[in-house]
Amino acid sequence: MGKKGLTRRQFTGTAAAAAGAVAASSFGAPYVAQGAEKVVKLGFLGPLTGEVAGWALPGRNACLIWADQVNAGGGIKIGDDNYMVEIVSYDNEYLADKSLIGAKKLVLEDDVKLVLMLGGTDAPAAVQFFTKQKMLSTTLLPSDLTPDTLYHLAPAEVHPLYNVTGVEWLAENRPELKTAAICAQDDELGWPSVATYLAAFEAAGIDVVYNKYFDIATTDFAPVVTAMLAENPDIVCLDTAYPDFVNLLCEQLFLQDYKGQIISCTLDFYGRIIEKTSTEFLEGLIFQFPDFDDPAMNEPHINFENPNEFFVNYNERFPDAWSAVTWEYPAIAEMWRLAAEKAGSVEPMAVFASLKEGGRGPHVFGDADWWGEELWGIDNALVGNWPVVQIQNGKATIVEYRNIIDWWNKHGELLKKHTAEQG
Amino acid sequence: MTGGGLTALLAVFCALPFLVALYRLDILIFMLINVILAVSYRFLTLAGEFSLGHVVMMGVGAYGSALATKEAGLSVWLAAPLAAAFTGLLALLLAFPLFRMKGFYFLIGSFAAGEAIRLSWNRFRDPFGGPGGIVFIPSPEIPLPVLGMVDIAADPIAYYFFTLAIVVITIVVFYRLERSRFGLTLHAIHWQDVLAESVGVHIWWYKTFALVLASAFAGLAGGLLGHYLGTVNPTQFNLHIMLFVLVWVIVGGTRTIAGPIIGVVVLTVVDQGLRSLDEWRPLFYGAILILTVMFLPHGLESLPRRAREWWEWARHRRQPPVSDDEEPPESDRPPPQDA
Amino acid sequence: MDTVVQTLVNALMQSSFVALMAVGLVLIFGVMRVINFAHGEFYMAGAYVVFWLYAQHELPFFAAVVAAMIIVGIIGLIIEQLLFKPMRENPLGGLIMSIGVLFILQVLAAVIFGVGLMKHIPPLYPGATPLFGMDGVSVPWQRLVAFGIAVVLLIGFWLFLKRTRLGWALRACAQDREAAALQGMSINKLALLAMGLGAGMAGAAGAIMAPLVRVYPYIGGPVIVTAFIVIIVGGIGSLEGAVLAAVLYTFFHTFVATYLDGTIASILGLLLMLLVLTVRPAGLLGKGEKV
Repeated sequence: MGKKGLTRRQFTGTAAAAAGAVAASSFGAPYVAQGAEKVVKLGFLGPLTGEVAGWALPGRNACLIWADQVNAGGGIKIGDDNYMVEIVSYDNEYLADKSLIGAKKLVLEDDVKLVLMLGGTDAPAAVQFFTKQKMLSTTLLPSDLTPDTLYHLAPAEVHPLYNVTGVEWLAENRPELKTAAICAQDDELGWPSVATYLAAFEAAGIDVVYNKYFDIATTDFAPVVTAMLAENPDIVCLDTAYPDFVNLLCEQLFLQDYKGQIISCTLDFYGRIIEKTSTEFLEGLIFQFPDFDDPAMNEPHINFENPNEFFVNYNERFPDAWSAVTWEYPAIAEMWRLAAEKAGSVEPMAVFASLKEGGRGPHVFGDADWWGEELWGIDNALVGNWPVVQIQNGKATIVEYRNIIDWWNKHGELLKKHTAEQG
Repeated sequence: MTGGGLTALLAVFCALPFLVALYRLDILIFMLINVILAVSYRFLTLAGEFSLGHVVMMGVGAYGSALATKEAGLSVWLAAPLAAAFTGLLALLLAFPLFRMKGFYFLIGSFAAGEAIRLSWNRFRDPFGGPGGIVFIPSPEIPLPVLGMVDIAADPIAYYFFTLAIVVITIVVFYRLERSRFGLTLHAIHWQDVLAESVGVHIWWYKTFALVLASAFAGLAGGLLGHYLGTVNPTQFNLHIMLFVLVWVIVGGTRTIAGPIIGVVVLTVVDQGLRSLDEWRPLFYGAILILTVMFLPHGLESLPRRAREWWEWARHRRQPPVSDDEEPPESDRPPPQDA
Repeated sequence: MDTVVQTLVNALMQSSFVALMAVGLVLIFGVMRVINFAHGEFYMAGAYVVFWLYAQHELPFFAAVVAAMIIVGIIGLIIEQLLFKPMRENPLGGLIMSIGVLFILQVLAAVIFGVGLMKHIPPLYPGATPLFGMDGVSVPWQRLVAFGIAVVLLIGFWLFLKRTRLGWALRACAQDREAAALQGMSINKLALLAMGLGAGMAGAAGAIMAPLVRVYPYIGGPVIVTAFIVIIVGGIGSLEGAVLAAVLYTFFHTFVATYLDGTIASILGLLLMLLVLTVRPAGLLGKGEKV
């Protein structure tokens, strides 16, 4: 008996410590609905700790804000009922096994109606389970889509397809640029993006003189830049790299005295990059992610309520935290809300049908088609317009919206070829 | 831990899937796979060398079996044991450079060998699939009289018991081996390698055999993981995961085979219990590790003994509990007694 | 030609902070026999101190570097006193302690400073200068500053070890702990000193690199791996070996990364290390581990 008593005491101690921790971290706890209101839970399954946390945790926090705003506004209106929203998150540590455990927990224990994911290597087993359970799930990486992932949608990001728009714009507006050097991070973001840029450069008649990957554990980017500049390219293409890598690569390009054109997928926190380099250095850089206070975000085709105000609010609440992924998760949640209200139900399959109705949907940058059959074997990515953004006088400025499907109809074969070659 | 203790443990494991909610079975399946990993890891440490390459060996089995089924079209039942054997073979090759080293050199040397393999999966997309790894790995199927071919990975209960069977085999193999002449020699090498060498023991062969066998079982665990998840990628086998294996084994205790099992089970429960803390979880996990090692330097397996000491002390209030400092240091400990 | 010289410059700048990490790790391992997995987190902590004091509170950069050394050194002292000291006879216990510390420091950095994009630490001296009039080769000022501080610290550390009594005691203890104890040295005091110095060096390394690298809670990972490789190649217990190996390894890695690619560089680096150990199982300048 004695040893059991002690064991129990030990466990009680642990439990008390953990309970204290929960109390201490209550500011990080999800919104808990009060009273007898109906509640709908949405799941967030992504890496909240570890290397990749930067791509998910800010998005989870943005979803918490979104949920607070929706609840403050009376919740989601389904028929005569108002549903309060609760975000339930599970840290999958970006591991496939933890992801599967989390997927089952969210669906079977928490009874969530939608699961938001970052996507990538953690996804396959979890998404397979979602499909079996007829659970609606979303990803930021359309490369997760396969013919079998029936209810897995890419409603916001169509990475890396939109990168073709920047290259096309560059070829039309700066035809004197003839050669490009590409460096890319060696992971599931980098590879498909390289295939896309290779296809886009080929379509634009630009020679790729350097094309290599760097390890995602890279700490020093000087060698990467030295190797690229040794080829004297007209264009340096940073492919799709983590925002921090883009920052460090730009700094190195500046320090190693590069003066040519730069094209990148993202340019988060370009203000800081300018601070490390110079306004003149970054001038003219082409990328794909606008600030939401851009006047061109107020054009009628944009499906995002008050983008300018959202941008200002967001920056007030989370100074220095604006990045591509932070708006994408709540944008998806918001799309889901509209679809649920239209369907009159929060049930996954009803919302799924409502989202996919008519084969078109309200993408942030304009109504777009559910597309992807030709590339991923399933029409589950919302593809349409995407902005080409240029740094002008130190400010991100949308120079044009271009249609991705138009490009595909002209050059789709090139992309298929390069995708196959890149593996 | 005695044979009786292990039987009791087995009974608990058989009952477990019926005590938890069905959807938590995955946690138990991964826990069992980790038991194989931890038990085999402890075996390879018997001769005194701690490796940081064991999780990569698991990966070798997972990748090997995945490629053999997907690319070469072998049956899972053939591919998984073959991959495990291949893992053992690879370990044999690695033993040549690695067992020239000792202690910290061996620790980091084994890490280097493992990491070079792991980075190769990352770098060489053909055939390893790069950072995304291999997906859509076939499931193991068994032909049943009425049902036809049944995919056992589709049913967590079936897969749980399948894994449990392999866990039992693993434990029996390592338990028996440790108590054999071979195991006693390994222990002897741990305490007195110079002496053992001088009485004609070929230390290299003993250490190598332990490494090869432990790696082969790690490879088998990898096959179990890959065919259940349907996907393998390099992140699943990185240093971070290896640190967890170290933690399971050391926090559980290395003295007997029960130590790593207890370590895996208890820390899996702790990890699950802390899940609701989201991004705070690792902090409390770390604190629990520190407290455990602080108060139970010989691991969780020493808890019953420590508890008995504390209980005696509380009852008689005569003498303070025997502190661990007064116990013989690890290297002087007596050979394990057969139960 | 420019590319070769530029790569040499890149490698030289990089090797200095690796050496700082490695000498601290060698000292800690030598004196305490603890495999300190949290050493990378000391580096991380140093970088965050610079972010906190220099970028957020606009203290002078050099003051922030000194503060980082002191603060991280104190963290090291606390960890030694509370966690490593009770584990003196149980090196595996020390290892688990360091893993626990690693988790705790990572979470603290994440919740105090937030997770997301890297911390913005503008360089004190932006821009670069061409090397001796070679237009194609640039030496960034901030890297030069980091290099300078690292070299000064390394020389100071070396002088301390070679010219002072305490330094002599530390070296003696690192080479043979039992013999040192027999000589009447207090292992506990020397361990405190080693931990304070070692952690302080790692803090300084993080501090000088802070404006140059990605500052986020998990930067310790790749750094600790590099540091382990370096001290093994150099031979543990050998400070000169650690510095030599830091230079060799970073030059090798940087050149292969430039001319082939980074992952290949890491793979070849690891294989090279295995090769060195196969030929010399106690490292380049190591004397073999006492069993």
